[in-house]
Amino acid sequence: MLMTLKCISALLSYPSEDLQAAISDIRSALRSEGLLDQTAQSNLEPLLEWLGSTDLYEQQESFVHLFDRSRTLSLNLFEHVHGESRDRGGAMVDLVETYRDGGFEPATSELPDHLPVLLEFLATRPLAEAKETLADAAHIFEVLQTRLERRKSKYAAVFAGLLLLSGLSDNDEVITRMLSEEDDNPDDLDALDAVWEEAQVAFGPDPDAGCPQVRDMLASMDTPVNPAPVSPARAL
Amino acid sequence: MSHLLDRLNFLQSKELEQFSDGHGQVTRENRDWEDTYRNRWRHDKIVRSTHGVNCTGSCSWKIYVKSGIVTWETQQTDYPRTRPDLPNHEPRGCARGASYSWYLYSANRVKNPLIRGRLLKAWRKMRKTMTPIEAWTSLQQDPILRASYVEIRGKGGFVRASWDESTEIIAAANAYTAKTYGPDRVFGFSPIPAMSMVSYAAGSRYLSLLGGVCMSFYDWYCDLPPASPQTWGEQTDVPESADWYNAGFLLLWGSNVPQTRTPDAHFYTEARYRGAKSAVICPDYSEAAKFGDIWLAPKQGTDSALAMAMGHVILREFHLDRQAEYFEDYCRKYSDMPMLVRLDEKDGKLVPGRFLRADEFSDDLGESNNPDWKVTAINSNTGDIVAPNGSVGFRWGEGGGWNLEERAGDDATSLQMTLIDEADRDEVVAVDFPYFGGQATEHFVKCEHPDVLTKNVPVKTLQLPEGEVRVATVFDLFCANYGLDRGLGGDWVTSDYDEDIPYSPAWAEKITGVKRDAIITVAREFALNAEKTKGKSMVILGAGLNHWYHMDMNYRGIINMLVMCGCIGQSGGGWSHYVGQEKLRPQTGWQPLAFALDWSKPPRHMNATSAWYAHTDQWRYETLRADEILSPTAPEGDWDASMIDFNIRAERMGWLPSAPQLKTNPFEVAKAAKAAGQDIPAYVAGQLKSGDLEMSCEDPDAPENWPRNLFIWRSNLLGSSGKGHEYFLKHLLGTDHGVLGRDLGEEGGTMPKEAKWHKDAPRGKLDLLVTIDFRMSTTCVYSDIVLPTASWYEKNDLNTSDMHPFIHPLQAAVDPAYESKSDWEIFKSIAKKFQEVAPEILGKETDIVALPILHDTPAEIAQDQVRDWKKGECDLIPGKTAPNFIEVERDYTALYDRFVALGPLLEKAGNGGKGIAWDTKHEVQLLRELNGTWDEGAAEGCAKIDTDIDATEVILMLAPETNGEVAVKAWNALSEITGREHAHLALSKADEKIRFRDIAAQPRKIISSPTWSGIESEEVCYNAGYTNVHELIPWRTLTGRQQLYQDHLWMRAFGEGFCVYRPPVDLKTITRDVNTDARDGNPHLVLNFITPHQKWGIHSTYSDNLLMLTLNRGGPVVWLSEIDAAKAGIVDNDWVEAYNVNGALTARAVVSQRMKEGTIFMYHAQEKIVNTPGSEKTGLRGGIHNSVTRTTLKPTHMIGGYAQLSYGFNYYGTVGSNRDEFVIVRKMRKVDWLDQPADTQETAE
Repeated sequence: MLMTLKCISALLSYPSEDLQAAISDIRSALRSEGLLDQTAQSNLEPLLEWLGSTDLYEQQESFVHLFDRSRTLSLNLFEHVHGESRDRGGAMVDLVETYRDGGFEPATSELPDHLPVLLEFLATRPLAEAKETLADAAHIFEVLQTRLERRKSKYAAVFAGLLLLSGLSDNDEVITRMLSEEDDNPDDLDALDAVWEEAQVAFGPDPDAGCPQVRDMLASMDTPVNPAPVSPARAL
Repeated sequence: MSHLLDRLNFLQSKELEQFSDGHGQVTRENRDWEDTYRNRWRHDKIVRSTHGVNCTGSCSWKIYVKSGIVTWETQQTDYPRTRPDLPNHEPRGCARGASYSWYLYSANRVKNPLIRGRLLKAWRKMRKTMTPIEAWTSLQQDPILRASYVEIRGKGGFVRASWDESTEIIAAANAYTAKTYGPDRVFGFSPIPAMSMVSYAAGSRYLSLLGGVCMSFYDWYCDLPPASPQTWGEQTDVPESADWYNAGFLLLWGSNVPQTRTPDAHFYTEARYRGAKSAVICPDYSEAAKFGDIWLAPKQGTDSALAMAMGHVILREFHLDRQAEYFEDYCRKYSDMPMLVRLDEKDGKLVPGRFLRADEFSDDLGESNNPDWKVTAINSNTGDIVAPNGSVGFRWGEGGGWNLEERAGDDATSLQMTLIDEADRDEVVAVDFPYFGGQATEHFVKCEHPDVLTKNVPVKTLQLPEGEVRVATVFDLFCANYGLDRGLGGDWVTSDYDEDIPYSPAWAEKITGVKRDAIITVAREFALNAEKTKGKSMVILGAGLNHWYHMDMNYRGIINMLVMCGCIGQSGGGWSHYVGQEKLRPQTGWQPLAFALDWSKPPRHMNATSAWYAHTDQWRYETLRADEILSPTAPEGDWDASMIDFNIRAERMGWLPSAPQLKTNPFEVAKAAKAAGQDIPAYVAGQLKSGDLEMSCEDPDAPENWPRNLFIWRSNLLGSSGKGHEYFLKHLLGTDHGVLGRDLGEEGGTMPKEAKWHKDAPRGKLDLLVTIDFRMSTTCVYSDIVLPTASWYEKNDLNTSDMHPFIHPLQAAVDPAYESKSDWEIFKSIAKKFQEVAPEILGKETDIVALPILHDTPAEIAQDQVRDWKKGECDLIPGKTAPNFIEVERDYTALYDRFVALGPLLEKAGNGGKGIAWDTKHEVQLLRELNGTWDEGAAEGCAKIDTDIDATEVILMLAPETNGEVAVKAWNALSEITGREHAHLALSKADEKIRFRDIAAQPRKIISSPTWSGIESEEVCYNAGYTNVHELIPWRTLTGRQQLYQDHLWMRAFGEGFCVYRPPVDLKTITRDVNTDARDGNPHLVLNFITPHQKWGIHSTYSDNLLMLTLNRGGPVVWLSEIDAAKAGIVDNDWVEAYNVNGALTARAVVSQRMKEGTIFMYHAQEKIVNTPGSEKTGLRGGIHNSVTRTTLKPTHMIGGYAQLSYGFNYYGTVGSNRDEFVIVRKMRKVDWLDQPADTQETAE
């Protein structure tokens, strides 16, 4: 089993006494497997330290606030890939079937696209395949890392680690676009204005022109943020 | 994913195998590309469901499920067909419903039980050494611990908890509260059960077994039109939308059908294709306005002036100058127009008084039963005064005379409408009528005439035992009220439409801004069509009219027009009130389940408006005084009081319910009564009279009288319907709030007389706020415990609407996602935990339930005079001059056992509703056989109600609407009272029993039942009042007729005996102190704040859905007219702030030609959890639309113990109006998103 992925899956789960007790095991597992380099490991240290030492309720409040309550930090990956698109249901179905093909039946109340679920599954796969799948989701990791860093959250290091594992460079075009599109940064008023600005409706001879607002929205819903999967195993 | 290279584009092989004589060919090219399309629509199953709380569309949807995941939904198209020449119901559905599946897997979903961390931490610490009850007790008795979680409500800090732990805290809190203060300190709020009956019933069944309080909603939402119970004794009964198609003239008045009744709008379009005419009346250029042949845009809030002027024209042209035969006949048989009204002397002048009753004659007109509740009229066949059949006195205590046959006892009658002929009248006298049109605020046109208008009326003089009494018919008074000159001389009447006399078209033009020609045309065509078609003129009306303080006048003005033209009860005619529709069709099957009537009666019901008004301390800020709305013709009385005082009197006299009820815990009172060896009612009466026992309503701020626990489920009370939102936050919740004004104590205002004043108002009355929802709504954000519930595609339930006659399922297409459970399972688990936890302090207890005088019961003819026992005007007789005090045995050791079993009381006491009762042993037995029985425990031998489907079967089996056998029984029971045969309406369906799996296969049309006034048949669409007109069943009013004159003392005192125009009231929320922009000379506007229903959401649901947000502007917006916007330097999309003493809100401006000057629209309810910045005014996150409102009560809505003016849950009572509000609007200078954590700044994130 790829213990590094299993550890990260645990770190991104809801903080519990079990997790608190397992921090030193996680630390040594990460060290002995060595999939993450020294820097990445030491970047995780503040989070491990915090999880190991602070009040559990504080950790849980923080987790609920970040991952349960903030849509832009959702750990359900398809929230970021498909959003409100109808493709979301279909994509989840593909993912469940991938788990089944891998010999597992989901035994959790979480949805299949919940990141800790996926990471646990990948931990059982060959490293090359796991990396390939992680690479498909790398842009989400990068975005989440950036958003968490803006909130000065220790969890950002986990996503930096995942990004490293995915082996993807950080100047990917998709990432740049997602970050530039980010519209729920409440500090950035100009960006907010731009999102809300309505295009002028022009009635003319072109019957397909329609309402530009709706057309643009439909077009953006039809374009997956990620390229279409090539095989079910690469559902992300 | 192109397969271009896999297939041949230009060539075809010659070596193809052929079959079917060369018609078929076998090809061998790659066809994988087809899978793309196949997979796109591949699914494992399709399940029928719908959307189940706040939308009354009740549309059938197909939910597609693949590998246990909902992938999408589409509209179902298999409704039963209608009949020839009537369009089918499809398509039903709208963009909102089509985006619902998004909620299932949205990041906004509540995934686990959530508890505020500080509360849970303290709880777990205590639980290490204490029992649950002990733990909760110590938490509540430690003020610092309690404050630690109360004060941070709305500021985050949730942690996940297990179901076991969450239900344990709730159970312990409920048990502690019941033991310490009384079970009536546990409140529950959930609206509109019709849309998911079992989910509602789950909570209300739990509360009812506990002795907790179910709060009403229809009146609180201000969707209840009190004019309906006033006129018809009916909560609300309306035509189904298909009946619009049968109309010849459709008047849309303050209702925006295409936008807010999207799935029904096609019938409106189709009616237009058929050739129906339509006039649309609304101040803004709404989507509906585009459908009209004519659009009238009156000044907002002046609709009753318009309706009165139209009534003036109709009376003139169809009743006076020419008598349309159909109209005259209809009004004589079906309205109170022929009834006699006494003229009372006041200061030497005459004013209309009470209906003349049979008991005022020396021989009681031969009536021995209830002569004081039998109204009188002149029989034109003989010239005698008679007590015609059908008035409420015939309904109770005797059988066979309660009908609308033209008889009085054995005599055939033809009632006389008018005394206008000199032969019929004894004299013509001057009678005073109140006029309110001269006292409007500066925002409305005043049409100045004296406040008393004296007009001539033909009367008869009778010699009665008390002496000489003058009487007039309702019709003659009615015509005088409308200002119609009938050749009797005198002032304030006219025969000239162009003369400015109150209620003439010229007068209405001044008030409403609508040209008199348009008024006359619409009125004339409306009536002409009704005359030609025998009543097929219809008015569709809604929130635009009903949310005003004087909504009764808007409604009664329109109802008058419909009755004058004989439209009520006729197919294609009538009133179609579509706001907050509340038609739970299988009502009598549902009530036993919902209120645990199978175990004990009565449940505790509360009118929510009065309760929230008291418990959120909005009464402490009341600025509207009774003398501002009192009639100048009011009879003598103690009218100088506050609104809360009137409410307290109403509770004391048994008119309105109370919650809590007694200041002392009812368990203790019951024990004391037993110790004193007295009957409970007698004991309570004695103690109340002596003052040793107090009613809670007299001191709402005393800690004993606070609501302590509140459940909110299927509702977003704080994010949507909570009028006076900031007062909820301040006093009920005790957290940060945006109230900008000061209370009466601080302002030095006039203090209430009856309510006890505490110098410092309490903050944080609730010990525990529990919200059950599937999404993290504003209410959840403010709660102590949030429980995740199944969404509408994850549970089994029932759903009916008044928009169509079908009963409809919700079904679990998939299991509830994450940790969520259905409402039924949630309350079951709370009940189970309660049964484990409570016996530590509670066992079998005797509870005392204070029951107001209820409509549709024999008690409703309780008080023909208004007398207050506390003032010594009468004795305190429980159930007659005061609430009844009823002993109820509760078994807290068997609460769960009772919850999941159908109790024995149904077999003992039978079932029924609306004054009709029938035996239901057979149905209970069938349920035993169907659902199985419990073999042991407290409910041994009872039918199981274990699953949500079991619960649906209970409803379907017991209700006449879904069980033909019961329908026949119910009609036969009614026949005993009316003396007429009615069972033919259901005989053809006697063998039909609709079951849950039947409606899962296809929605089913319900069976006709006497619970409703319309019928289901192959001949006509469902239409209200149909059985009154065609089966001669009386309306459930004092007169038994459609009652256009309201003779109750308080109605006369507040000037609403007859319909009049009343301008919006002055709520005084724009004070000099609050309006800093006026002080500083900044550009600003003062605008009327109107909150219509929106296009991109159903109340707050969908308003956090990004698809819907994208279709609008992505957050809260307000609409302004171009002219107003220019005045304040606001351009489209600017951030603006709206505020007044109640609070402040922030939103973007939509500047539109659609808007009328002087108004601002804010669609309700846009969530403050989405894209809402901070308010400069309050320094807190901008509020919701209700942040600038405060609810204000109206005394006439408190009347009780008087036939149709008697209390019923969601039927009559105070309503939460909010349209009369004004706000200051200005452009925001800086937009602050308050993005810091809560310890430095408030945030509702």
